Amino acid sequence: MRKQMMAGAAALLVGGLTAMPAAEAANGDTLKAVKERGTLLCTGHNGSYLGFAEVDDEGKWHGFDIDLCRAFAMAIFGTEYEDHLKIVPIGWAQRFPSLQSGDIDVIIKATGWTYNRDTDLGVQFSRPYLLAPARVMTRKDLGAESIADLEGGTICVPAGTTIERYVVEYAAAKDLDIEFLPIEKTEETDAAYLSGRCDGYGQWDVVLATVRLKADDPDAHVILPDVMNVEPIAMGMRSGDDNFVDIANWLLNAFWMAEVNGITADNVDEMKADPPNPGVAKLLGVTPGIGSQLGLEDDWAYNVIKAFGNFNDIWERNVGMDSPYKLDRGINSTYKDGGLFYPLVLD
Amino acid sequence: MSAPGLAEQIASDADEMEAPGRRDPFGTLRQRLIGSPLQSAVSFVGIAIVAVIVWHLLDWGVFNAVFFATEGPKSCEGATGACWAIIDARWRLIFFGLYPYELQWRSGLACIVLVAVGILSCVPRFWHASRLSALWLGGFATFYVLMRGGIFGLAPVSEEKWGGLSLTVFIFAAGVLVGMPMAIAGALLRRSRLPVIAGSFGLVIDCVRSLPLVTILFTAAVIVPFVLPEWLQGDKLYRVIFGFALFFSAYQAEIIRGGMQAIPPGQDEAARALGLGYWRRTFLITLPQAFRNALPPTISQFVITFKETSLVIIVGFFEIMASGNAAYGTGDWGFAYIEVYTFIALVYFVFVFSLSRYGAFLERTMRVGLH
Repeated sequence: MRKQMMAGAAALLVGGLTAMPAAEAANGDTLKAVKERGTLLCTGHNGSYLGFAEVDDEGKWHGFDIDLCRAFAMAIFGTEYEDHLKIVPIGWAQRFPSLQSGDIDVIIKATGWTYNRDTDLGVQFSRPYLLAPARVMTRKDLGAESIADLEGGTICVPAGTTIERYVVEYAAAKDLDIEFLPIEKTEETDAAYLSGRCDGYGQWDVVLATVRLKADDPDAHVILPDVMNVEPIAMGMRSGDDNFVDIANWLLNAFWMAEVNGITADNVDEMKADPPNPGVAKLLGVTPGIGSQLGLEDDWAYNVIKAFGNFNDIWERNVGMDSPYKLDRGINSTYKDGGLFYPLVLD
Repeated sequence: MSAPGLAEQIASDADEMEAPGRRDPFGTLRQRLIGSPLQSAVSFVGIAIVAVIVWHLLDWGVFNAVFFATEGPKSCEGATGACWAIIDARWRLIFFGLYPYELQWRSGLACIVLVAVGILSCVPRFWHASRLSALWLGGFATFYVLMRGGIFGLAPVSEEKWGGLSLTVFIFAAGVLVGMPMAIAGALLRRSRLPVIAGSFGLVIDCVRSLPLVTILFTAAVIVPFVLPEWLQGDKLYRVIFGFALFFSAYQAEIIRGGMQAIPPGQDEAARALGLGYWRRTFLITLPQAFRNALPPTISQFVITFKETSLVIIVGFFEIMASGNAAYGTGDWGFAYIEVYTFIALVYFVFVFSLSRYGAFLERTMRVGLH
């Protein structure tokens, strides 16, 4: 109850803020401010968000979004970026006001690109870097092969999220008689599902993979194939600063380009010595130009690939096979592996 | 009823009315628990239920538990009890949050300094305005230098990396310390003889009390930067502490005012008749008695405030609840959240219970002083 009041109060305030004119940034402002300040302010989490922002035994950040924060800082400040990046712990409700007030420069926090955020909240988004498919997990012993088989059962959903809406709408569209149990706190939702209180659990598949890990026997759970919706996850920046959005887009692009060209952290030096095509030559700074138009050095893409690998490496390290979550990339692969992602043309 | 029967009745009534503790406590206990067959049965069932619960708790928390993370997260594989290995592996994260690992001794020391100052200021010998203020100023200065660094050769650590127990204790101590003078001022002003002042401060106090703490914290952390010029903002941490102090002071002001109203008006009049001025009347007559009267609710307000520090998690601070969340928030440790929350509950318990016991001690000493 108190949690709900808190969320209500926060929502009220955020709602109130939207009435304020959103601060517009001018083209190039953010990069200039970041360089003058000597620090990029990127989003962390108030606690941890599995796979995306976690803290290790030594209090250091790790995760998918954290890697992107680091790469962003490295693109601007070069390889000695460590002292030039502040990962600011921030709550969900705080993201957009904090971006507007300048507490952070970029939101890289598993944030979906929505109309309201794009317009009213004055946020400008990068290309989506992930698609989060909303799916339902269930116990194998129930024998369900699709959500329709869960008719008459109960599905737990995180209260007040877009997921809740997707699951309810999906069931309504298919005219399924399913009871929904919205729960506010993630741990409680997990516990409700794992204890058998609910037959199904509606969430992004990334999150479901983390929940499955908590079960006594992870193999006893299956994520049903129905994709109820996908939410594009993108970086958020202040509206009006095209330069900063360009940096974000070409940063992501560098990772995809490295992937489809087979560039990894290990072979990036060989590739740089002997680029296989003009695009790679430009990407790695052999032929000049990838930095200057963005206000960066020409070796920024080389640096981030050398440090973080290509997009697949970031995936595998944080949520894929090299992580505890063992999530396969599916639609998040590049077109070469049957996924939906692709690099832009570097000419 | 025969005369001896009546005498017995009176005698046993007198026994029952006798102050507890003066009789053999075990005798009373025996009489209460197994005085009659029905009492025996009820006692037995009650004890059996408690025993079963305690047994299960011990079974989970001690006998079948894994205490040491010798093999990292794998240590708890196959264990049926609690996995305290997570505390063994990640206690530094819980206590110090994101504070740089090599420098965590500073955070620990800073926390100890603040707690020590808190304990010292509980000792009656320090109850002197100048001593207390010197103690707390010194305590906060030491805390700040240790945590923030940047001088005496200490590497600087900016506020967004502060966390864990040190941050919780700091927010509590600073909030209460800033809030208490505000509360005293608020209480005095609300009792002002000038209706405009009394009315307006009453309004301010009631307004602050009518807002949820979360709203105040959110405003301080997120909205103030839109309103105030940059040089007036200060770090988010200090804005939030001010918000905390404001909220605490509104409640505490009412508690103190309650304590003042319990003082017979004759006291103030007598002091006036002796020719004491306003400040001396206030600080020598009214406030000491008001605090004495208001001690139980004040302690309970302290306890509430300590626990409410966990709300700063929603404005993005890494206090002990958040660092606990981060401690179990990895794929490897995700299953052990109950252990982490139990551990944090114990930490809270140590602080809150000490506060309550200190309150009880104060009440005893002060009552002795009264007689």
